[in-house]
This record gives sequence, structure tokens and C-alpha cells, in this order.
Amino acid sequence: MKHSACIKLLSDLIDGETLTITNLSTNARMWSALHGERPSFYGLNMGLCLPFAVGVALAFPKRRVVAIDGDGSLIIETSSLITAADVRPANLTAVVFDNGVYSEMGETPTARRTDLAKMAGGAGIAHTATLRTMEEYEKALRAALAAKEFRFLVAKVERDDTLPFAGNYIKRSERGMKESFVDALKRLPDYPGER
Amino acid sequence: MDAEPARLIIEALKEEKIDLYVTLPEEPTVSLTQAVQADPYFQCVTVASEDGGVALTAGAAIAGRRAVFVTGIAGLLKGGLALMHMGPQYGIPVFILASYRGDFGDRSGISGSKLQVFRQVGEPFLQALRIPYQIAGERRTLKRTIRDAHFMCRTSDMPAALLLTGEVLW
Repeated sequence: MKHSACIKLLSDLIDGETLTITNLSTNARMWSALHGERPSFYGLNMGLCLPFAVGVALAFPKRRVVAIDGDGSLIIETSSLITAADVRPANLTAVVFDNGVYSEMGETPTARRTDLAKMAGGAGIAHTATLRTMEEYEKALRAALAAKEFRFLVAKVERDDTLPFAGNYIKRSERGMKESFVDALKRLPDYPGER
Repeated sequence: MDAEPARLIIEALKEEKIDLYVTLPEEPTVSLTQAVQADPYFQCVTVASEDGGVALTAGAAIAGRRAVFVTGIAGLLKGGLALMHMGPQYGIPVFILASYRGDFGDRSGISGSKLQVFRQVGEPFLQALRIPYQIAGERRTLKRTIRDAHFMCRTSDMPAALLLTGEVLW
């Protein structure tokens, strides 16, 4: 599967009410370009995307939260699988785009012989899947986004360095990105904090 | 930590409307965590690593939920990279209570030479990360110190750490 095609489909299936959290690099750039100003926190450093998304999901228990992670990011903080399995927010969906390599580092492999979905299952996440075709991916994604339970999807994608979506992600300051996200959250009717 | 400081901390957390308690269990704060787990006011999340604990607490905090991460100073060292990102990089108010392992009075069974490393490195580490912190060692002022630290944390968009020691902890 093409990474960009998978990201595009995810963007098409998610409405403006959903909160999205991304890891660094390719996911952040493509998601920023596609997802525009909808509420999203872009570019969390290695290993921090999934636990951060769990925290956001606990703050907004009635709103869908999607963690958009990568294989390199996930494997640097695998203990987050244990925490996510334990907390299992019913409103959280995790999608890991697994291209098998650190995308900024040529052919340096990431998970190598490790099956990420099996690892997540071993950590105690009840619903995991590895998706290798667009048909499988779309079916599982639609089901996960509609489910009232935590689901963990691994989409096996090809390296896709073309970045077909132009965006201004790297031109934005991270403080500015964060403030935009917070401002968007504060406009939501179920925001739990002080406005 | 005995029952009284645990009670004072719980009262202060409730006064600050902090209802999400995130922790990686550590010996000196076990009684606090057990009391929190027994109190239906709190949602208690036990994390599997300090990096993840910092990130989870940050995610909740940025989304408007009042949360605290309870760990030890060794945990702050372990979670230092996450703390750097959530603090100086993003400016997210992660509120932290950390047992000050290795401070004078720590008789918790780990060798003194090992504990001393935490004491020697802990505060300079927080200073290097530019994480505001304060030492809380008196029961008499504990509740006010927690309230003040949390106010500073959430109004400055920066993490803040209280290092628990003295008669609060030992």
C-alpha cells in the first residue's frame, strides 16, 4: 500500500469533530497538509504519540481520538502498549503506518522480524490487525472508527518519499501548533477545562 | 509516606480539581497511590514507563483535564526526554509530584551510594531542562505548596515539579 494513499483515506474518513495526534516526520507532514486546521497535534517525538493520545482520550471520553503513529516511533516506547492496553479508552483508535524503516534514514530497518500487531496483542490490546491491502485497510479502518472500543491497526505501507501533499508543517513553530490545537479544543462543547 | 501526608495531598488535589492520577509506583509513595486507588473521585492510571507517564499526563493536561504525574526523582531522569519536549518545546503544564530519593532521611533500603546519585543529579537535571521545581518537606505547609505549584504550572504553560522529602515522605 502507498503510505500517502492510506493517509488520504484516513483523512477522508475522519470528520472535523475527531481529534488526531501524530508522530514525527512523514505522518506529520502529510497529515498537516491534508488535515488543514482541523484539531490535530502534529509531530510528537519518538515514542510519545500513543501515550499522549491516551491522555487526550481520557480528557475527551465522548469524542473520537486517533493516534497516527509510525513503526519507528512505536518501537522506541513499547511500554506504551501495556499502558494503552490497560487503560483501553473506548474512544481511541491507533493507526501505525509501518514502512519497515526509519523514513529519514534510508534503509535502516525498524521492527525487523517483530510483528507489531502481535506485540500489541501480547501487551493485552484485544483488537489488533495487520493490514496489507487497501481493501483490508479500508474495512478495518471504517470498523475501528465506528467501534466503541480501543482498536490498534498496523498498516503495512511502502516507503513513500514523494510526499504528494504540499504543506507548511515545518514552517510552523511547535508552540504555535500547540496553541492552535488548544484553541480548537477550547471551542468544543465538551472541553473539560477552563476556557 | 504515612497516612497524614497522603491525606493532605489528596485533599489538595481535590481542592485543585485534579482527578486524573498518573503514576509509576515507587516505594515512598505507595500509601498515597493506594489511598487514591481506593477513592472513587480519582481515575488512577498506572503507566509502564516514565516517558509514557509524562506524555499521557501532558495529553490530558493540554486537553483541559487536570492531572498529576506521581513518580520519583529517578523517574524524572528516565522521563527526561519526554519532559524536555512537553516543557521547553511545547509548553504543556505537566504537574508532577516526585519523591526526592536520596535526600537526607531516605532509609528506604537502597544503598546510600546509589541514592546519592539521584540527589546529586536530580536538581541540576531539572534546572538544565528549565523545569520549575520546589522542595516540599513540611506537612504544615504541604497543602498550600501543592496548590501554589499547581496554580503556577497551569497558568505558566510549563511543567512544575514538587520534590517530596523530609517529614512529608520519610
